[in-house]
Amino acid sequence: MSGALQDSDAINTLPVLLAHALAMESEAAERYGELADQMEVHRRTAVAAIFRRMEQAEKAHLGDLTEMCGKFELPHIAPWDFKWRHSESPEVIDFTKVHYQLSVREAILLAFEHERRAAEFYAGIAQNATDPDVQKLARELAAEEQQHIGWLEAWLAECGPGDAQASEDPDPPLCQE
Amino acid sequence: MTINSVSLVIAGSGGAGVVTAGSLLLDAAAQAGWYALMSRSSGPQIRGGEAAAMLRFATEPIMSHDDSFHLLMAIDWDNIGRFSAEIPLVAESLIVGDPAHGAAPAALLAGRPRQAALAMSEIAGRIENGRPNMVALGAIAGLIGLPPEAMQAVVEKNLGRKGQAAIDASMAAFHAGFAAAADLPATPKLPTVATSVAAATEPRWSITGNEATGLGVIRGGVRFVAAYPITPATEVLEWLAPSLAKVGGMLVQAEDELASINQIIGASYGGVPAMTATSGPGLSLMIESLGLAVAAEVPLVVVDVMRVGPSTGIATKSEQSDLNIAVYGLHGDAPHIVVAANSVPDCLFTTQWAVHLAEAMQAPALVLTDQAMGQARAIVPKPAELAFIGQRLTASAPAVEGERYKRYAMTASGVSPMAIPGTPGLTHTADGLEHNEFGTPSSQASDHHAQMDKRSRKLTQFNYGDHWADIEDSEVGAGDTAIITWGSSTGPAREALQRFSAAGGRARLISLRLIAPVQPEKMAEALAGIKRAVVVEQSHSGQFYRMLRAFYELPAQTVSLHHGGPLAFGPKQILDQLNQLNAGSA
Amino acid sequence: MESCAQKKKYAAKDYKSDLKPIWCPGCGDYTVLNAITRALAELALPPEEVAVVSGIGCSSRIPAYTSVYGFHGVHGRALPVATGLKLARPDLTVLVTGGDGDGFSIGGNHFLHACRRNVDITYIVMDNQVYGMTKGQASPTTAPDWEGSKLTPEGTGINPFQPLVVGLASGANFIARVSSSDPVNMARIIVEAIQHPGFSLVQVLSPCVTFRPEQQEWRDIVRTAVVDYTDDAARAARRLMTDDGFNVGKVLYKGSRPPFRPEFENTNGSVTELEARFAL
Repeated sequence: MSGALQDSDAINTLPVLLAHALAMESEAAERYGELADQMEVHRRTAVAAIFRRMEQAEKAHLGDLTEMCGKFELPHIAPWDFKWRHSESPEVIDFTKVHYQLSVREAILLAFEHERRAAEFYAGIAQNATDPDVQKLARELAAEEQQHIGWLEAWLAECGPGDAQASEDPDPPLCQE
Repeated sequence: MTINSVSLVIAGSGGAGVVTAGSLLLDAAAQAGWYALMSRSSGPQIRGGEAAAMLRFATEPIMSHDDSFHLLMAIDWDNIGRFSAEIPLVAESLIVGDPAHGAAPAALLAGRPRQAALAMSEIAGRIENGRPNMVALGAIAGLIGLPPEAMQAVVEKNLGRKGQAAIDASMAAFHAGFAAAADLPATPKLPTVATSVAAATEPRWSITGNEATGLGVIRGGVRFVAAYPITPATEVLEWLAPSLAKVGGMLVQAEDELASINQIIGASYGGVPAMTATSGPGLSLMIESLGLAVAAEVPLVVVDVMRVGPSTGIATKSEQSDLNIAVYGLHGDAPHIVVAANSVPDCLFTTQWAVHLAEAMQAPALVLTDQAMGQARAIVPKPAELAFIGQRLTASAPAVEGERYKRYAMTASGVSPMAIPGTPGLTHTADGLEHNEFGTPSSQASDHHAQMDKRSRKLTQFNYGDHWADIEDSEVGAGDTAIITWGSSTGPAREALQRFSAAGGRARLISLRLIAPVQPEKMAEALAGIKRAVVVEQSHSGQFYRMLRAFYELPAQTVSLHHGGPLAFGPKQILDQLNQLNAGSA
Repeated sequence: MESCAQKKKYAAKDYKSDLKPIWCPGCGDYTVLNAITRALAELALPPEEVAVVSGIGCSSRIPAYTSVYGFHGVHGRALPVATGLKLARPDLTVLVTGGDGDGFSIGGNHFLHACRRNVDITYIVMDNQVYGMTKGQASPTTAPDWEGSKLTPEGTGINPFQPLVVGLASGANFIARVSSSDPVNMARIIVEAIQHPGFSLVQVLSPCVTFRPEQQEWRDIVRTAVVDYTDDAARAARRLMTDDGFNVGKVLYKGSRPPFRPEFENTNGSVTELEARFAL
């Protein structure tokens, strides 16, 4: 394992930016997929569909990034050495933030919050980086996140009033093992 | 009696050196070219309790004690009366006691044995460092015809490290006792077969059932043992610990039996053949995890050296009463293997076979032995070399290339190739939850039924060969009468058959080694032409008889001869039953 | 992705199976599964050289959700299975996952002796102070006044078990407490736990959203422990006995006791030699 990145090289080179972006986008795709799985396992199909669409969006994004990465040698960064503000990358929804009775609206808002965080993350880099290539790529990445935010806003608008509240389950939890 | 044998007991309280004297006598008998069987009985004390060594010597192999003893040599009488039920004495028997310790307790005199006095402590007192137990051994040797040279060799070997003075003192006491025997009433004598081991007619071993059990699992390929001490299984473990280390294995003392069984499950899952040994209380604790080994298809061997139950019962004494728990104790439908050794040397054969069966079928195998054979030492013909080695069907690649590995794949034999951790590409989770072929938990009826069929098929389709039972006929044929038995009741049953045969009777002995899965077809073949049978077992409720009734077609005239432990059957009890059966039918 | 392959050979998702967990959405155990897979990826351990062993309970479902070798045994007996596996196969990296009921109630004796024996395994306990699989009964770590179960409507009235104090007293060689609200740090500590020789105990505060929904507040209650680990057991004991159970995110104790590791010695002995001792 390499040591922690020093603040002096905090995301001011293309390889470091790409390493961060790749980690964040792949984790986001994976997490949206896992959340969709969870909701499917619990027969929450409408909510699952939201997460599944986001998984697809992130995967598409990831494909572009992966292509770009091929041109660089990326540094290895341990999960705890990334420059995230929170424990995980900004775009990744914390597992403990969801719950069984999550409504469609709540799911969209949750995704919205994390897409917004991702956009801010890239925008911050665009603002602070001195390397013009880094600035340019960060702006492009931020724009892509804005696109996701736009979709989420549209879905939110489509949300019927029935989707607003967390649903209720009249049945009690079941005994397993 | 048809066997040329002599039976004797050396008894005394703690400190009298009874157990040591018994061992010396056994070793000396080996020098004389004899065969022997020695069992022990002792009080509940850790030290200082009353003890008795029961020995039988013969010029040919023996598997059982006799109906009564020719000689009781009592170094003192403290609490020896407690053993009276285990020391049957008849009019021909001779009790030799030390007058310094008073008269023989009344409990020993019910059979009106002859009595004689030998001043063992006084004679020993006249010899520097002389001990009464060596005087007793000398007298025994004189009475039964054991040559003093045989004892000389044994004493030199055993006391060598204490120096020549100790050897001389012991032999002086021995010779004094030997000389005194001339004044005692006679007992049967055995002819000397040889004057040294080298001169004996065939290679012989001196081994206990518990040691044979340990050797059997090592020969079968076991290299990991985890266990918790329990009487009377501890000697299996004590023998295994240093022995495993010599052959690249290990023994771990676990915190309890729940840990023992689960540690061996872990080791076996890791690809190392594994076993544990315990007794009834420990087996009870292991039962849930035996079911896990069935469901997860993890091969392992559990030896139960049975003792008197239920609960703590009588920890130091024997009973054949764990049959039910061994066969039926597991919850759910849980096909597993239960085998039983039927003599001291058979502990070696049966445990080695058990490792082979467990590994071949990826299932747990329970081996039932008991205190009587486990803690008995016997001088026996050298056991045969056995070809059984545990061999597991392992997987190194998925059955169909590119497909996901199926740990519990359906196969004709029911046995699925097992991927051992470390094998690339075949990772899976072995599960005690019902599962599908991949090992993925499943609550579907179809998966449950398919997996149950498979687990059952593994055991029912296996070729157990002739080892499922020992079948022995009278010299002139099987006739139409059978003794059906198992475990250590086989010894007296064998001798009963010999006597029955010598008296012109014809009968067949069927001693089941494979208790589960049951073998109705083989039994039907063994019982062809049999019209009468006696079922012999040491269980108060007749567990074996009930199991036979449930799974086999028995002759119309079948009687159950059973009683609880710790008393073993004498050959005569079984012979009487055979005669009665035949008389009733004549 | 190969072209991007950095120094590591594996990604976290390489250690996840295709099986979808049955845990309730929001369960802390998802985070633990994630942290374990991240830790394994960071250690770049080939999946076939790792085994995860468990007993029974929600958190004991983890082995099937990984792509390494797994063993899902009976309730309370994961530690002995793992002990046997590691002793028989010292080449494998062995993890044990389970819950507070599995580890500290039905498996309590094995917990004591696993700490004491100090075999080189890593034990990750997801502590949610409740039995989830059986509909929410009090566990050994439940507070005495919790009235949420029909079995103990007045609360248990019994002080909760202190796993880390007991683990330390019993001889655990590495002790840490983490929160499921900090998955990345959890991964870091699991890496350390695996790397540290001997028995490593990692307590995870992992909320049960269904039977203890109030535990979702733990994310706001927990605080990063202010001091770094000590190698002094007496000092660690004082700290553990005075903390409130919410100091998380750091290793609390690292011992240097050598692990229990009896060797399969090749002493060149043979079965024939063993048999020779019985021959007259």
